[in-house]
Amino acid sequence: MLFPTIDFAVFFMVVFTGSWVLRPHPKAWRWFILASSFVFYGWWDWNFLYLLLASIGINWLFGVLVHRSLTPEGGRTPASIWLVRVAVIVNLGILGYFKYFSFFVSSIADRLNSIGISVDAPLLRIVLPIGISFFTFQALSYVIDIGRGHWREPLGLLDFAVYLSFFAHLVAGPIVRASEFAPQLDHLPDPRYVKSAEAFMLIFRGMFKKVVISSFLATQIVDPVFRLPGSFGRWEVLWGIYGYAIQIYADFSGYTDIAIGIALLLGIRFPLNFDSPYIATSLQDFWRRWHMTLSRWLRDYLYIPLGGNRGSKLFTYRNLFLVMLLGGLWHGANWTFVMWGSIHGGYLIAERVVKERWVGHEIGLPAKLVKGLQWFLTFNVVCLAWVFFRSQSISGAFDVLWQLVVGGGTNSGVTLLVILVIVASVASQFVPERIPQRIEIWFGRLAPILQIAGLGVGLLMIDAMGPEGIAPFIYFQF
Amino acid sequence: MSWKKLLRPFRSKKPGTMPAGLVLVIMVLGLSLAMALNADATLRKSNSKGDGWRNGVASVIATVSDTFQFTFLRSRVDEALGKNQGSKIDAAELVRRQQEADAAQQAQDALEASRHPPTIAAPTPATPIHLWVGGDSITQTLGASLQRVLSTTGVFTSTLDYHVSTGLARPDYFNWPEHLVTDVLPKDQPSILVMMFGANDGQNMTDLNGHGLVRGSPEWLTEYRRRVAATMDLLKSPTNDRLTIWLGPPPMGPGTKVHGMDEIAYIVWSEARSRPWIQYFDTWPFLSDANLQYELEGVSSDGSRHVLRQKDDVHMSVAGADRVSWAILGQIATLVDLSAGKVAPPQSEQAPDTVIERTEIPPTMPGAE
Repeated sequence: MLFPTIDFAVFFMVVFTGSWVLRPHPKAWRWFILASSFVFYGWWDWNFLYLLLASIGINWLFGVLVHRSLTPEGGRTPASIWLVRVAVIVNLGILGYFKYFSFFVSSIADRLNSIGISVDAPLLRIVLPIGISFFTFQALSYVIDIGRGHWREPLGLLDFAVYLSFFAHLVAGPIVRASEFAPQLDHLPDPRYVKSAEAFMLIFRGMFKKVVISSFLATQIVDPVFRLPGSFGRWEVLWGIYGYAIQIYADFSGYTDIAIGIALLLGIRFPLNFDSPYIATSLQDFWRRWHMTLSRWLRDYLYIPLGGNRGSKLFTYRNLFLVMLLGGLWHGANWTFVMWGSIHGGYLIAERVVKERWVGHEIGLPAKLVKGLQWFLTFNVVCLAWVFFRSQSISGAFDVLWQLVVGGGTNSGVTLLVILVIVASVASQFVPERIPQRIEIWFGRLAPILQIAGLGVGLLMIDAMGPEGIAPFIYFQF
Repeated sequence: MSWKKLLRPFRSKKPGTMPAGLVLVIMVLGLSLAMALNADATLRKSNSKGDGWRNGVASVIATVSDTFQFTFLRSRVDEALGKNQGSKIDAAELVRRQQEADAAQQAQDALEASRHPPTIAAPTPATPIHLWVGGDSITQTLGASLQRVLSTTGVFTSTLDYHVSTGLARPDYFNWPEHLVTDVLPKDQPSILVMMFGANDGQNMTDLNGHGLVRGSPEWLTEYRRRVAATMDLLKSPTNDRLTIWLGPPPMGPGTKVHGMDEIAYIVWSEARSRPWIQYFDTWPFLSDANLQYELEGVSSDGSRHVLRQKDDVHMSVAGADRVSWAILGQIATLVDLSAGKVAPPQSEQAPDTVIERTEIPPTMPGAE
């Protein structure tokens, strides 16, 4: 079930009503939310539910076993460490089978064929269950946190099931931690004070970004440029790349906005997942603003266990690179994602090297100009990496980049409107947070009848400006 | 809760919050308003998807909204945005207008010329042929692949013009004959057109008198045939220098809701036979097994195996589209001298020699449903 559809609107009306009616009855509410989440997930394919149920059962059991193997004070034991390792292997094994098996088999077969050993690799058609990367990472964080002694008591099976399968974050995040979610299960929000203004604004903003901005740029410039770069001139290709940077941001952050808004209407607060990433003046800054819940997951469960920066510079650089490489692979089994991660990893290291060498040096340029140049460089490095992220293959990405150099094509999908949308989308990230907050407060004070009219006309405009039919969110494939 | 509460600005102890009951009222009424305002658009989308029971609900809402003119605002917005401006003009009416505009002598010349296959000058890198490829969403991948294949020859330029959820069944949603006549032919001026419809046409239609026709019924098939024939007539060039390659729809995988592609293929094939400017291209064998049954994976000329279809079992994968594209180029090469171009399909993208187009298309294929 996609968020911006009538099916979901009807579904949510029922869930919203049931949720607030049952909120004073914690157990009934939990069962209701769990059933609703299963309906939401099963809407795509009921068979996916078996995997979700298996993930719930296995990880809950691991949580209990790991907790029992800790010392009475919550300290680690060899048994708890091994249990956590087994849990990680099992979860990554399942994820790997669905996500990477075909990739590795075909890559090995290609390599063998290239050295003259003929291999007829089996062509498996493994269907990737939607959201598997997201709920697997959530489950892992839960088990690892118990293993670290962060949880003195594992969640009950019902609570854990609600946490892992809660429909608002199930398929594309944000990656919410149990420590953020579980306390809200016990806390009874006051039904007199639903944060409707913030939620409505988030949902509207998300739908506009997804249905209008993302779809418009995809059809007008991004898809044509990446489909046949050779037929476009260098400026068209450049706008196509910039367009994709906005498209993926609008698509993913749009989904997150809707997810956060929906959860908020049910009285649950999700962590922020995007914070104007394209205003970043360094790649390190970018990763503090882009897909923030994945960034902190990678930091806490990969970078720090690898040793983080507790060693030599080279050791830190290695860890940084590895984290970005694996972060790239998390998105899918393709060399393009490896390349994407490598660019980010490599540039993060370069940033550190330059920073260490130049810190304290006066370069004689105005601070604002330096800041502007840093922004320009960061934005373009991020866009360069997006070329690999968007392309179907490494050679396809180089075709796009080559065209950027040689130019020469005759097609043009770049219109004034396309440029305006891209520029406005980037510029909108520089708008201070207080402006949307004021709009939110203003909207919240409107008479309900005006809010109804705003909702109706707003949805009309979004539907009219969007394409026929809603394309799935880009991040659903991850 | 008093209804007057809806009219007064809301003041909560905690700014930005409201009671859940009031939020529910706002959501229900707001969404109802949105559904009423967007009723026509929702029905159009539902029709194009063959949406089952949702289609019935959408029809009722659209009828009520149209009666009370709730859809007026959306129509004006669409108009301002230049969207969904398909009309109910029938293809036959367009043929009539076009014929009236042509001089009598031109009509006579066209008649004479149409008795022979079109003549298209041999292209060179300096004077390439312009090819237009279009149709429904299946043409998206196929068209992109064909463009790539054509670009390797060095003697083609091309335009891809697909519109998702379209076909010949719903001209009120997207009027392909009108689009071809008013946009494609005069503006793009292609020498060769490659087109495919059908996957979205498995739905009920209305005939010229507004009578509903049930999909697959004899009356439906007759009306569909009429539309195909009229569209083909529109594509005839007065100077007989334009070729149209009309692709029959491919077989659809088990479990898809797309049926009747074999019947559509038969209609297109049989109508193309009497029109030398239309060449039927049979995609079916390139995407099916030796028994002409749907095939997910296929072996290429070099023995490598490829998944030929996307996960929905309707659209072609890149490998499937490549295979069909090279075959289309092969068919073009039998009619146009492409010796100045580089036409050398890689074996990994080519169907094996055992795959050949059928010389005759049966009215129905066993197991096609």
